Amino acid sequence: MFYLHLRNELWKLFGKKRTYIGFGAFLIAQNGMLLLFRFTNWQKSWARLLAGNGYLAQDYLSALTVALVMLIPQIILLMPLYTSLVGGDLVAKEAEDGTLRMILARPISRFRLLLVKWLAGIIFSAVLVLVLGGTAVAFARIWFPWRGMFVYSLWPEHVFNLLSVGNGARLYSYAHLFLIINAGTVVGLAFMFSCFNMKPAAATILALSFLFINLVLEHLPFFEPYQEYFLLYHFRAWLLIFADPVPWERVIGSLLVLLAFNLTTFLIGAAAFQARDIKS
Amino acid sequence: MIQLKNVCKRFGQRTAVEDLNLAVSGGEIYGLLGHNGAGKSTAIGMMLGQVWPTAGAIKICGHDITTSRSRALEKVGAIFEAPAFYDYLSGGRNLEILSTYTAPTSRRRIQEVIEWVGLSGRESSRVKTYSHGMRARLALAQALLPNPELLILDEPGSGLDPEGIHEMRQTILRLHRELGLTILLSSHLLHEIEQLCTRIAVLNQGRLVFEGNLSEARPRGQWIRLKVGDFASAVNTLREAQLVTEQRDGQLVALAQGIGTDQVVELLVHAGMTVYEVAPEQENLEAFYLGLMNRQREGN
Repeated sequence: MFYLHLRNELWKLFGKKRTYIGFGAFLIAQNGMLLLFRFTNWQKSWARLLAGNGYLAQDYLSALTVALVMLIPQIILLMPLYTSLVGGDLVAKEAEDGTLRMILARPISRFRLLLVKWLAGIIFSAVLVLVLGGTAVAFARIWFPWRGMFVYSLWPEHVFNLLSVGNGARLYSYAHLFLIINAGTVVGLAFMFSCFNMKPAAATILALSFLFINLVLEHLPFFEPYQEYFLLYHFRAWLLIFADPVPWERVIGSLLVLLAFNLTTFLIGAAAFQARDIKS
Repeated sequence: MIQLKNVCKRFGQRTAVEDLNLAVSGGEIYGLLGHNGAGKSTAIGMMLGQVWPTAGAIKICGHDITTSRSRALEKVGAIFEAPAFYDYLSGGRNLEILSTYTAPTSRRRIQEVIEWVGLSGRESSRVKTYSHGMRARLALAQALLPNPELLILDEPGSGLDPEGIHEMRQTILRLHRELGLTILLSSHLLHEIEQLCTRIAVLNQGRLVFEGNLSEARPRGQWIRLKVGDFASAVNTLREAQLVTEQRDGQLVALAQGIGTDQVVELLVHAGMTVYEVAPEQENLEAFYLGLMNRQREGN
């Protein structure tokens, strides 16, 4: 039965056209980044940076390097927007449309219903991240060779590393596991708000506001010693697995914080949903 | 089948349902009447475990809805006013999705129900292409899928054209006749209730103001419609002569035991009053309902 309920949620989620709008937006943004990298001074400046550090640019300006370049701005800007949109819809849209009332006229428990909805949200996050990661490499491969990986980032985390093609591909795959958790956390946050009696747009806006306030507070000098109390600090752990050496303590710590945050948001949402009256 | 004992529901300061007691037995078509906002939908929401009662106990099919919701709703189907579906999916897929929230349902059973409600050939079309009547049929199909013993219909005729209402009425009667279902029907369409139900309950401002058989709600022969120049003084005259026992609505009187209309007319004419009309009142549910509501308003 649990499998059938989960299948229902996936049918509902992936049966909607709006589910794919985000995929389309991501693909356009990815290709925009690729074109920028390929046809502006961006590529040349990276080549100079590599040469300045004693490396041959043609060995490291590869599909993997460019795929990561394409991915970073999307993860920071588009991913929270789109995942909170989907998360905010999961419960609140059904309540708004009236289908929730149709479901809850049946003997399914509210907790079970929420659990399958949340899991569907996580599966959606995984599909989105994996498709984006895959298409980034595929598009980058059109113009760039399959060679070693150069990771260079000043923000949000400072990382400078050169990796063999095998190592680069492996870490690129691992990074996606972390990104799935990040995307799932945003889905979970919006999902929590959507369990309360509110419109889907309100749930999305609240989730985005939460992230935005985190971002602003985190960058205030006053809060600098308290960085680890902000969610976005832990979101950045995915980039650190490209660092040499990998700060495992920080990475695992962030991972645990994100898992605990997910559990908390789910339980708050479940408690709110359990207590509320479902009316037309 | 349905038992509500001293059920109350408050939303903040507002009382939606107050001390409601109801009992619906198996095999009945039971009507829940009341104006908009009388508390019908809240009462139904509580019966389905969608709205938590503030106080009282609710049993559906012998199980407490708050503690054993899953067992209570195992054999219950429900249709709401303006039934909502996943419009971007097909009718068949909607049925498949909704049925699994009760129990795994075979494709054969789904097809059987689709045929029963007359949606054959359209089950693969997206629901957004369905007419209002087809949506109503799909709503009925989803309610019938779990092989229910109890069907709860919340304003099922809402938004339907006269033909659709007629079809819905025939379907309800067919469900009762062929499948032996117990049906709770909430509506403010008095004509529908009158034609379908055996017993009714009337809610007003969340309170039960009448509960009984339809025959009790529209007694025949008790009331006489009396149109005279001055109704109040005519009633006084008739009361003094002990010809009538009650009066209401400014035109109805109840005759005393053994008194005929000829005696009433004779007395009034002798008293010099002009009598325009004397006729037995064939009270319908609408008259009963409006009278009941008027008395409630006067009581307040």
